[in-house]
Amino acid sequence: MNRDPSLDELIGVEVSGAERERLQHVHELLLQAGPPPEVTPELASGPTLSMTLGRRRRAVKPRAMLLLAAALATALVFFAGYIVANNGGSTSATGKGPVQELALRGTSVAPGAQATLKVWQAKDGSNWPMTMTAAGLPKLPGNEGYEVYLVRHGRPWLPCGTFRVTSSSGAVTVTLNAPYSLRRGDSWVVTRPGAGGTEPGKTVLQPVSA
Amino acid sequence: MRKDKGDMELAIEVPQPRLRAVPSEPAPPDPDPSDAELLARVGEHDREAFEILYGRYVRPVFGLALRRLGDRGHAEDAVQEAFAAIWRSASTYRPERGAAGGWLYTVARNAIVDRLRRNGPAHDAELPELTSAEAGPAEQAEGSWVSWRVHRALEELQPREREVIELAYWSGMSQSEVAEYLGLPLGTVKTRTRSGLARLASVLEGELA
Repeated sequence: MNRDPSLDELIGVEVSGAERERLQHVHELLLQAGPPPEVTPELASGPTLSMTLGRRRRAVKPRAMLLLAAALATALVFFAGYIVANNGGSTSATGKGPVQELALRGTSVAPGAQATLKVWQAKDGSNWPMTMTAAGLPKLPGNEGYEVYLVRHGRPWLPCGTFRVTSSSGAVTVTLNAPYSLRRGDSWVVTRPGAGGTEPGKTVLQPVSA
Repeated sequence: MRKDKGDMELAIEVPQPRLRAVPSEPAPPDPDPSDAELLARVGEHDREAFEILYGRYVRPVFGLALRRLGDRGHAEDAVQEAFAAIWRSASTYRPERGAAGGWLYTVARNAIVDRLRRNGPAHDAELPELTSAEAGPAEQAEGSWVSWRVHRALEELQPREREVIELAYWSGMSQSEVAEYLGLPLGTVKTRTRSGLARLASVLEGELA
């Protein structure tokens, strides 16, 4: 449980009079408001096109919805039949879930940290989208960021993207990409820059099984 | 300057220099437009203004939605709907009727309440704000409004001021720990904290009094 800071500690006791009252008021509002939420990268990336193109939703009658669903189902069956007929049934199901899901835990560098990394099906066989949700990562000073590394042969092998932690809670959700041909046994770690900015630096998060 | 009723009118005619008509040039864009100016532009479907307004308000709107809906997924949907509503209805905003922040709060709150109704009564049980025995509706509404304004005001701080304020208030760290964490002298952290609080006071004055 976080303790509330005291105004004396924050600004010192030498501030007095009207200025102190002014700051005291803001101090109380901040305590009352609580922390602002950390928005997801999707929300932080800006307004979506649907916000400016979308029309006000109108209530759709159940019967209209049923008709729409029936029409969509018919179209889907027809489309699937068409695909199978034209490809000799050779299309492979890609599946909707991640092709790999990895639980990561903090090393001694960040013992309270943890993360889940998901690797999604590559569209072209070599660009594997990844999403990672992490918590408990300390904010790094300045412009320093964490880096996600593909681990092969037991060591950080190739970089897959960087991210920064901006929330005081250390929570972050990032979208990454592994632009490589993956192999069985590949894994990932998260590192922070070593002294002098050397890469791959110190491992901060590693697979739970490691 | 405003004229008092007792002021005398001067009856001396001062010859005015002849002015030549100069082709008017478009005014340069305001580098820091007010929320009201942005709303007026959004009312004319100016996407750039909408993006600036979105950047200023996405966290307050998300915070309000999260507070009312208690679920991040629903809150994200509510943010989409709230900004879509702002885009649609910005042209109805009248500055003489109140501050832009209050208008935006009302539009966002209505969009969130709409979503709350669509989620149905079963979802209400998850809402701590609605089930709290400690605060009535009036206090909840006031709390939401305070959070909204404070979170909006935080967007006005310089990043380095905002960083120390957020760490000081919500990380549980002491000022010394914040200084060590950021690798800054303690005096610098205190200076930034104080200047950040003073800037917040300036932004909030007149809004929450």
